[in-house]
This record gives sequence, structure tokens and C-alpha cells, in this order.
Amino acid sequence: MANQSGSIYGLTILSPIIDDPKTDISHDCAIRAYLASLPRDGDSPFAVLSSTHLARLVVMDDVIFVGTPAREEHLQSKYLVFESNLDGDLDTYLTRMATEIPDMVNAVWSHCYGYPGTQNVQAFIAYMKKCQIDTTFFFADVNNQTVRSTLRALKVQASVAEFIGSHQGKSPEQLLAAFRAFYANVEKMPDPVPGHPQAPGAHESIPLQKTMAARHG
Amino acid sequence: MTNINGKTYAMTAITPMKSWKTPILRAFFFLLGHIKPLQAKLVNLSFIHFARWVVVPRRGFPRLSDAQPEEHLHYDYLLFFSNFNGTWNQYIDAFADVLADGLDLVWRWSEKFPRSRPVSAFKRYIALVQFDTDYYYTAYPRATTNDVKAAHRVCAALEDLGKSSRDMSPADFNRAYLQFLIRVQKDLGATGVGPIGT
Amino acid sequence: MAKLNAADIQGFAMRGYTFPVARFVFMEITDAPSGQALLRRVLDQVTTAERWDVKPDSTLNIAFTYQGLVRLGLPDATLLSFPVEFVQGMKARAEVLEDTGVSAPDKWEPVWNTGSVHAWVGIYAESPEVLQRRCKILDDLLSETGGARILHTQDASLLTGGDGKYGAKEHFGYTDGFGNPDFDGADRKSQPGQGKLTAGGQWAPLATGEFLLGYADEAGELPVAPVPHLLAKNGTFMVYRKLHQNVATFREYLDEHGSKYAGGKEKLAAKFVGRWPDGTPLEVSPDRPDPAIAADPARNTNFTYGNDAEGVRCPIGSHIRRAHPRDAFGFNGQLVNRRRVMRRGLPYGRYAQPGEPVSDAEEHGVIFMVLNASIFRQFEFVQQQWIQYGNDSHQGTDRDLLLGKHDHGGRFMIQGDTDPANPPYMCTGLRNFVELRGGEYFFMPSLTALALIATDAVDPR
Repeated sequence: MANQSGSIYGLTILSPIIDDPKTDISHDCAIRAYLASLPRDGDSPFAVLSSTHLARLVVMDDVIFVGTPAREEHLQSKYLVFESNLDGDLDTYLTRMATEIPDMVNAVWSHCYGYPGTQNVQAFIAYMKKCQIDTTFFFADVNNQTVRSTLRALKVQASVAEFIGSHQGKSPEQLLAAFRAFYANVEKMPDPVPGHPQAPGAHESIPLQKTMAARHG
Repeated sequence: MTNINGKTYAMTAITPMKSWKTPILRAFFFLLGHIKPLQAKLVNLSFIHFARWVVVPRRGFPRLSDAQPEEHLHYDYLLFFSNFNGTWNQYIDAFADVLADGLDLVWRWSEKFPRSRPVSAFKRYIALVQFDTDYYYTAYPRATTNDVKAAHRVCAALEDLGKSSRDMSPADFNRAYLQFLIRVQKDLGATGVGPIGT
Repeated sequence: MAKLNAADIQGFAMRGYTFPVARFVFMEITDAPSGQALLRRVLDQVTTAERWDVKPDSTLNIAFTYQGLVRLGLPDATLLSFPVEFVQGMKARAEVLEDTGVSAPDKWEPVWNTGSVHAWVGIYAESPEVLQRRCKILDDLLSETGGARILHTQDASLLTGGDGKYGAKEHFGYTDGFGNPDFDGADRKSQPGQGKLTAGGQWAPLATGEFLLGYADEAGELPVAPVPHLLAKNGTFMVYRKLHQNVATFREYLDEHGSKYAGGKEKLAAKFVGRWPDGTPLEVSPDRPDPAIAADPARNTNFTYGNDAEGVRCPIGSHIRRAHPRDAFGFNGQLVNRRRVMRRGLPYGRYAQPGEPVSDAEEHGVIFMVLNASIFRQFEFVQQQWIQYGNDSHQGTDRDLLLGKHDHGGRFMIQGDTDPANPPYMCTGLRNFVELRGGEYFFMPSLTALALIATDAVDPR
């Protein structure tokens, strides 16, 4: 199934954008303006749509004339291109789009031909599937981990590095005690927020308990 | 620069293909998908999170309503999406250096594609057919695909140590911990801000 | 593969001079006519790459900044054809190179903030007396033509050991000067390990175009170069950086961690760089320095990392492994061939012998110069992606211990094994051991190009 690589689904959507010369701001410009102001970090709607690994939206205004002897031709409509790399199955993802982030979805897709809105989830899913293009070849470097497991792993990695650095030269007893406490903390760790950049230069690691830190420096 | 989010660059490109050439490309992708060693170089370059090629046949652009004009296209179109780490130049240089033949096999069916070596003409072509991204999101902006893979390895090693350490004596643990260090010692790079994507 | 016209290439671009003292003179050019007049006189002084039957007692070479070429009256169309990074100058590239914080331009020596550095003249000599004489010749030409005035001079020299003799060490105590790239036509005995790897695991010279303009490079084309062709051919680009070394901080750091690292202080110093302080490569001799290997050109750069993927002999983040990864990224080293740089360098300042008191504030460091056909693709890439970053070597955002910017502390992981003298060890709390005090990008023209500039004969097309 070309849309699938391991547990990752590759969704490609091409939605024709309405062309209405009567509007003050053309529909494609409206989409662009909206996207330009949309947060791209932990406040992004895609962070809410948390099964999204990486996603992009591109307003494609025309095909490209690559030069003679190639033929010059043009698209009759502009298209909104949506490429997403996600966990799980398509129906679940589309359902979540309609039910969890309807504001963004409507703000963007309301400018497209035949868009039914998010009120009727089935109609929304049908619309998106009509806009879907099958992926011909899909490459995913890591195709067996969810967003959640990767975010947790990154946090654990940072914490492990921190632990290693601050426990060099400890006695075996100290080390074992500190490790047991550390590992217990890891198991209880809350899920990190998707899309959220860490502070520059800092490692966002699990804080050691204060008493541990005081005892082992 | 909206093509970049954190340490990942979103490249989107569209190239025209004469429709009789499209089945050849599809056949090549079929082979690539089923003959794993052909993908080895791509995997070893290790700077792409996700990439895909999407053939949009000339009658394949979605038509959603009668108000929407019909497309009358001569060419099929090949859409390319890449999510990669590193700068634009670095990415293209690397492919031209080690995967030139593979690239040529994908894009030679597109009109006016120069060969991927020498690289300057290739870069000019890509710049011509590349679209800038209006919105780019990544769930892990501070992590490259190398970081992601390293993190999972560290996690797995930690799991193993955590489980086996439950009943260990300090002396046994000391030995196990050394083995743990040796196992994760290449995977402890920090995940912070990357360099400017020039 | 063409035989290179050594008479047309400036000697500095082809080989490292083995003179012990040097002075770098930075000048502001007065105007086009007098600058060209000066250049016509200086032409006779310029040392070419021709082989010496009798070694001269000094050498002289010259290079120009973009502003210098503007001042010399080159046509606009030519000026516009120079690469962007050269036109902008190194100061404008500070964000790209991460020359920020303690290395930011506002901390540089004043000359670099005048915007008036137009020319670099490099004079090497066999003694301070000879240096003075050669500099006097330059001074005389300047007063006779009025073509330029000296803004600043920088002296540099080999460091002297405890015995008062010149040696090859730099201020942190490492023996320097290994591993300059080997290229087609270099006309120099090539050492295995200096070139590029072939499919059969042998070493071959790199394409000339990686280091000289007008020749095919490793990508199979002529590198981006200014027009007209005659202006660019046999020329190259030079990066000049004055790197201050915080010797006291470095020695304290080495002492502190050397006492905690089970392999000992000398081995720790070796792990930082990838070579023992005497120059023996860790990859070849991981347990102890070996002066015989260090002194043998057939062995002292002859190694690859293929059998040390775990970094157990030479740490993955060590300096030489970062700056020249060889086969460490797979693909038989092909990803590295267009990222090589030619280094010229000389220390400056007084060497504090080991054990002697020293402070970070003392004026000492290295004058670091790099020659390459493309500043952007070679020097800037290595600095930005391999020194100040670690993703290509799978080390995340970890930076080079020696040259990296460690404002927020930083880590360097030394991979190890079960050998008690070679344990895994994490160096934490890295400091800024090196700080940039200034520098610039220069174009070093061929002799033909110098003549074209000097006679205002550059064709604007």
C-alpha cells in the first residue's frame, strides 16, 4: 500500500482553491495570510492533532514552465497542497481533524471548491478522500514509532545524558541508588508537548529530586 | 523562512512528464519499493525524516464542483516532498555526490531535467521547480532523524538496564552500567538549536 | 589533469612555507590609480609557486577583500560576479559561522570594524632581522606610490620550546601541521591519507579545482568563479582568522578532568583532538604516543575510521575526526571530498611552558588561515556543520571541544570499552577555549590576475 510505510501513513491532499474575481481578497491570498499568522510550535493546531509527525501546507498557484522544447501550460485553478506524515489510519486522522481542530480546518479549506465544512464528519471525510492523491513512493526513515513514543524517547535521551554526566566516579552503591530513583522518575514521566521547541542550549531533562541532588552533588 | 521548522527543511517540487514516460517511472518506484538494497544508500544518508513522490496524472487533479473549471493538461506531473535535515545546498550536494544515478532514474523522465552531476545545473533546475511552503509543522523541531534514532536506541538500552537492575547488587550493577554506557555512548548528542539554514 | 603553471600561482596557495616568523600586514588602499601603481611595483616582490633551487630568505604574498577590489577600480560586472559570502565579508557572516557571544565582531580588534581592510600582505622570513628588511621594502613601496596605508600588522612565529629552539607545537601543547589536502598538480610529496579515498581503499589526490579556481573540482565542473576567466584562474580564496586561545582555562580543564579520567591526562588530551600531543594519531596508536609514527609521513596521516565506527580508539567528536571525517560517514568518503580545506597557520604570542603560570588574558593564540576554491562550500560548511554542530557525525548539537562555542557548558563524549585504561567518559561543562579576535575573507589572485588589476585591464564584458 503505497500510502503506508510501516506504521506511518503518508497523506497527500490537493484541494482546488476557489477563484472568485469579485472578492476583495482572493481565496489563495486569504489562505496564505491565515497560514502566515498560524503558530508553528507547541501552539499549532497540529500539536492538538497529535498523531502528526510532520506536515506542510503549500498554496500551489500553477505548474512551472521549464523551458523550450517543453510545452507551456497552466492550471485553471490554484491548489492547496497538504502533505502529512501521521500515525494510525486515515479515517481516524480525518475524523480528528474535523472534531478537534475545526477552526483551523475551516479557516483554510473554506476557500476551496466543494468544501462541506466540519459539522458533518462523514461529508468532510468524503471530501478529503476525493482530494486525496495516492503516494507513488513513500520513504520513512523511522517508520515504527509514534509521535508520543518519539517525544518521550527524546526526553529520556536528554535525561540519560544528564544522569551519566553527573554520576561519573560515584561508588557502586551511590550509583545504584541514584539509578533506581532516576529510572522510577522516567517511568512516571508526563508526555512532552508536540511541536514545542526546547530552550536554546538547554536539555529538557527530568529534574532529579532535590534530596538526591543534594546528596550526590 | 517558512521552509524550515527547527532543524528540518520542507522541499516541495513539481516537474512535468510526458505521459508515456509515467509508467516507466512507476515501474522504477515499484522496484525501489521491493528491492531493499536499492534503498540502502538512502537510508545510510540518514538526513531525511520522510519523503515521497506523488504522480498526478494529467486528468488526476481533483475536480470538486461544476463551478471549478476543468483542467486541460498535456503533461502528467511529478510532485516531490522531502522533509530533511541540513541546508538546501548540503542536501542537494550530498545526493549529487553519492546518489546521482538514483536521482537520474527518478527525474530523467521529467522535462528538461539536467543530469544530477555536475551539481550546479541540477541546483538551478530544483530552484526553478521548487515551491515555498506556506506552513510547516514538526512535532519534534529540535530533533533530526539521527537524534530520533539515537533517542530510541538509548530508550531501549535504558529499559533493558532498568528491568535487569531490579535485583542486582551494587557490584553487578556497576558492571552492567559499564555495558550500558558502551551501548549508548555514541547516542548521547544534545538536541538543541541547529545552525542557520543558509 | 593539467600540469599547473607554478609561475602564475602565488606560492602561499600551493604550499606551506617552512619559515619560523611572519608578519601579516593589513592595508587600506588610497584610490584606484595609486593602488594600481603600488600593485605594479609589488608584482616583482610576490613569491610564486615555482620550486626553489635556492631557498629565499623570505617570501611575500598578497590578497584582497571585496572592498579592496572595489577600491582598486574593478568593473561592476566583475565585482558582481564574486561569490556572495566573499562580497559580504566575514563579519557579515557572523551568524552563519556562530561568531557570536565572546567571538562576536564587537569583541574583535578595532581594525576589523573599520570596514577599510582592503589588502593582506603575508611576509614570511627565516629570522626577525630578515623579516624587518622585507617589511621595509614594502614600506618603501607604500611611501613611493602612496597607494595604501598600513592599518594594522600582526606578527606570528613558531613557538620555542624549553630549549629555545623553534618547534611545531601550538599553545595548548599539541604538535600541529598535519594532514593538509593533497591535490592534482600539488607538486609536493603526497602523503597517504591527505587525498581522497578510491573505491579500492587507496588514497588519490583531490581535484585541483577544490583549491584553485579555473580547474575541474570534485563535482566535475569548474567551481563558481568571478569573470573574466583570466581574473579567476590560478587564484583562490583565503579565510583569515585570529584565534585567541584561553590557555589557562584549557590547562585547568585538562587538569580537572585528567585526574578523573582513568586513562590519564595525556590520553585525555589526545582524545580531545584525535592525536597525542606529539602528533601520533589515536587511530594508529590508541594506547600511547609513538614518535616514530608521528615523524613518518607515510604513517602519520595514513588511517581511516572504518574499523573504529564505535569511536573507541578515536572519539567520534574529536577535533580531527570532525574536521576531516575521511570514511566515517560511509560512501567511501565521497561526502567529504568537497569539504576539504588547506590550512596555513602560525602561532602568535609567547609560549608558556607546561607548569609556567599563564593567564587567559595574555596575547597568545593562532593565526588561522584557510585556502579553498569556495569559502561557502568548504570553510564555512566545515565550521558551521562539523565544528559548531554534530548532526552529520550523529552527535546532535554537540560542538567541537577545542573550537566550538560553549556558552552554556557543553559535552564531549569519549567513547570507550571495557579496558580500564579506556573507559567511556563524558567531559561536561566545556568552556570557550578559543575566541575569535577578528578576521576577513580574501581573494588571492594569480600573477596574471594581479597584472590585470594593476594595469586596469579587467574586461567588464
